Amino acid sequence: MIRRAVPLAGLALALAACGAGPQTQQAPASAAPVALDLKTSTAAAAKGLDKVTWNLPYEPQTLDPIRSFNYAENTALANMCESLLRLTPDFTIEPGLAEKADNPTPTTWVYTIREGVTFWDGKPLTAQDVAASLKRHLDPALGTWWSDYFSTVEKVEATGPMQVTVTLKQADVLFNQAMATAAGAIVSKEYAAKKDLGSPTGGLMCTGPFEFGAWKSGDSLSIVRNDAYWDKALTAKSKEIVFRFIADETTAVNALRSGEVDGQYFYLPPAGLAQLRESTTGSVTLGKSLTFWTLLSAAKDGPYADPKVRQALSLALDRAAISKVVFQGTAAPQRTLAGAEYWGYERATFEKAYQALPQETQDLAKAKQLLTEAGSPTEPITIAIQGSAATHEQTANLIKATGEALGLKIDIKVVPVEQYGNLYSDPKAREGVDAFFSTWYGNVPDPLDIYTVFQAGGRTNFNGYPAVDADIKKARAEADPAARAALVTGIQDKVTRDVAWMPLNNLPVILYMSDRVTGAVPSFPYLYYPWAVGLGAK
Amino acid sequence: MSFLLKRLAGLAVVLLVASFLVYGLLYLVPGGPMAFLLGNRSGTPEQVAAIRAQYRLDDPFLLRYLSWLGDALTGDFGSSLVYRQEVAALIGSRVATTVLLVGYATVLISAGGIAMGLLAGLRGGRLDTAIGVLSSLFLATPPFVVGVLLAIVFSVGLGWFPVFGPGEGLLDRLYHLTLPAITLSLASAAFLARITRASVREELNREHVETARARGFGERHIVRRHVLRNASIPVVTVTGLNIAGLIAGSVVVENIFALDGLGSLFVRAILQRDFAIVQAVVLVLVTAFVLINLLVDLCYSALDPRLSR
Repeated sequence: MIRRAVPLAGLALALAACGAGPQTQQAPASAAPVALDLKTSTAAAAKGLDKVTWNLPYEPQTLDPIRSFNYAENTALANMCESLLRLTPDFTIEPGLAEKADNPTPTTWVYTIREGVTFWDGKPLTAQDVAASLKRHLDPALGTWWSDYFSTVEKVEATGPMQVTVTLKQADVLFNQAMATAAGAIVSKEYAAKKDLGSPTGGLMCTGPFEFGAWKSGDSLSIVRNDAYWDKALTAKSKEIVFRFIADETTAVNALRSGEVDGQYFYLPPAGLAQLRESTTGSVTLGKSLTFWTLLSAAKDGPYADPKVRQALSLALDRAAISKVVFQGTAAPQRTLAGAEYWGYERATFEKAYQALPQETQDLAKAKQLLTEAGSPTEPITIAIQGSAATHEQTANLIKATGEALGLKIDIKVVPVEQYGNLYSDPKAREGVDAFFSTWYGNVPDPLDIYTVFQAGGRTNFNGYPAVDADIKKARAEADPAARAALVTGIQDKVTRDVAWMPLNNLPVILYMSDRVTGAVPSFPYLYYPWAVGLGAK
Repeated sequence: MSFLLKRLAGLAVVLLVASFLVYGLLYLVPGGPMAFLLGNRSGTPEQVAAIRAQYRLDDPFLLRYLSWLGDALTGDFGSSLVYRQEVAALIGSRVATTVLLVGYATVLISAGGIAMGLLAGLRGGRLDTAIGVLSSLFLATPPFVVGVLLAIVFSVGLGWFPVFGPGEGLLDRLYHLTLPAITLSLASAAFLARITRASVREELNREHVETARARGFGERHIVRRHVLRNASIPVVTVTGLNIAGLIAGSVVVENIFALDGLGSLFVRAILQRDFAIVQAVVLVLVTAFVLINLLVDLCYSALDPRLSR
């Protein structure tokens, strides 16, 4: 549910060393609130094209679904390998390769496999393929990146020729929802046993609207239309998509402007965003997204472990300025970690709970009062930021200035790109760090997918936030949407009021398409939905 | 013959020392490949243990190094931790781009640098001043600035060259590599021009040249036989060193033009602690470096037999 695809992006920045970060302006005293026009679709294509060239932000490490949990990997994989369920561009979950998912007892999920689906080689999809694909997540040596969703799985069995039963150790609604992501992606049984599955040489064997074509390591990856695709509504318009791997942002922007590349998804605004927006050969679309920019808490003692101090800092922050200065106006200030896009059920309940929460706007007087109540701590707060990452540096500078205005001392600790990842996984790396920045995303339209990070003893509950553990367990076991929404809004209320992690900004998907093409899905589900099937000429 | 044998034995020793040093240094740097093996937050303790055992990440340093060395000696360079592909395959697909890029840049550097140096040294006057200013400019501008400027002007602006990529087929490849090769060669060519000019100037004032002039030889003959040949020793040295440096220096250029070369593979592997790739690339680089120097030495012997004694 994480993600920061940062190591490579950061590397590219460091290498090109152009320092072409967005122009840093001093934060205006009060930036106007940003109203963003966020889309879930783009204009439909009139006809297909023979070839569309698309850029990925870096070369995928692999296309093996169990290790595909990052931007470039999922962008490519989503067009080839389908999951048991399908996450649609407007954030709903519908049947995919499973015609239906039943939940006869709280700890059993029974998937009825769709009839008449074939793999690219013509072999029919059966329960054997599904079971083999899901079982790969249970073998520790294969190293799945989706273990958060599979931690509750006891066993996976083919209980009929077209039926697979998953038995859980404890009831878990997130498991079933995760079957709409790459965690539930199905490869053929034969390929599931391959050691080099998903590598340039090993390839893939799936059922999706595009087939794995050729992957020239370091150069390009091509996928070609599957003319025998089962879902006629989602047959691809264009014949071939060629992915390139331009990691350097300046080069990518140049390639897009010159028309050599037809499009790209950006998970953070590139330094050349203004050039893309002004481009005469293409246009930028902002899409609804589950990704957000946040300050993760790691402090178990010291001032930042005090909720009042966190509240004070959060209240004093000018989130609109962060959006304007750091994200070039592409980010929306957020008052909760999980925004409106996560409300996949019981929208009214979530909406009401959201309105009742303190606003995301600045309130300096109240912040100062809270800080006084906390005893006006003099000990500094240490925030770790990633080296050579403009978003980190700029946000940190804004927070530091905010802290100074409040009388709170904030130290910035720069951690090199290649070690930043250790902050997430290694408690030793977090020693002396009170908080650190991250982009983060949940994968399914349920706020619980985000708040489950605060489970006691969880690997991502960095500051050991204790208040919501029991409720999270109850909510994960609650199959009834209304009852679950009640629990989740309760969790959200506590987490938000205590500023367990500090919500900053929602980060929309930034999609650029040249005027030659249209029809790509602009919203976050592009990571799991065949977003390229609609791609074609205007 | 014994000269060659000695040099080859030297190469083996250098390779061994370099591989040990690089392996050791990578080992000492904090951080590891786990984030690339299991993702940032996934990974139960059992999973982490299984992965560490599978890739022998917990073995002592010497044991890991020796087992790598043993495999390498039998021609098995292992497979990449992060990409789970054979290192030989990963490198093989990238060597062509780097070799072509470095070769192209070498031609540009030698031809351009020596021509500019000769013109400046022999003609003098305004041309000398102009070349001096130009070479200062080239020397002072870092490649990433040159690369970005060239791309903006000639690719995005004028549309004469592609923005990125290595191309396919020899001619298309050369076309794609033109801007990268120019980017890579400007500073070195300027440096070479300076050296050429200085050594030509020096030779022109040497006693044997004056003697030749006094004896009434034609200027052309003097320049060819007495100036150029003597002036070429430092020029060859600098050219050789420059080319060897190009291989490592191509990293920046490869990134700017999104080329799938050894340089970008190398840096990425270092950041990801992908030992097998780092080691293999180091071996390739060191070998190339030693071979180029060997070539330079052979040129010395041809130019001035006294030097190979």
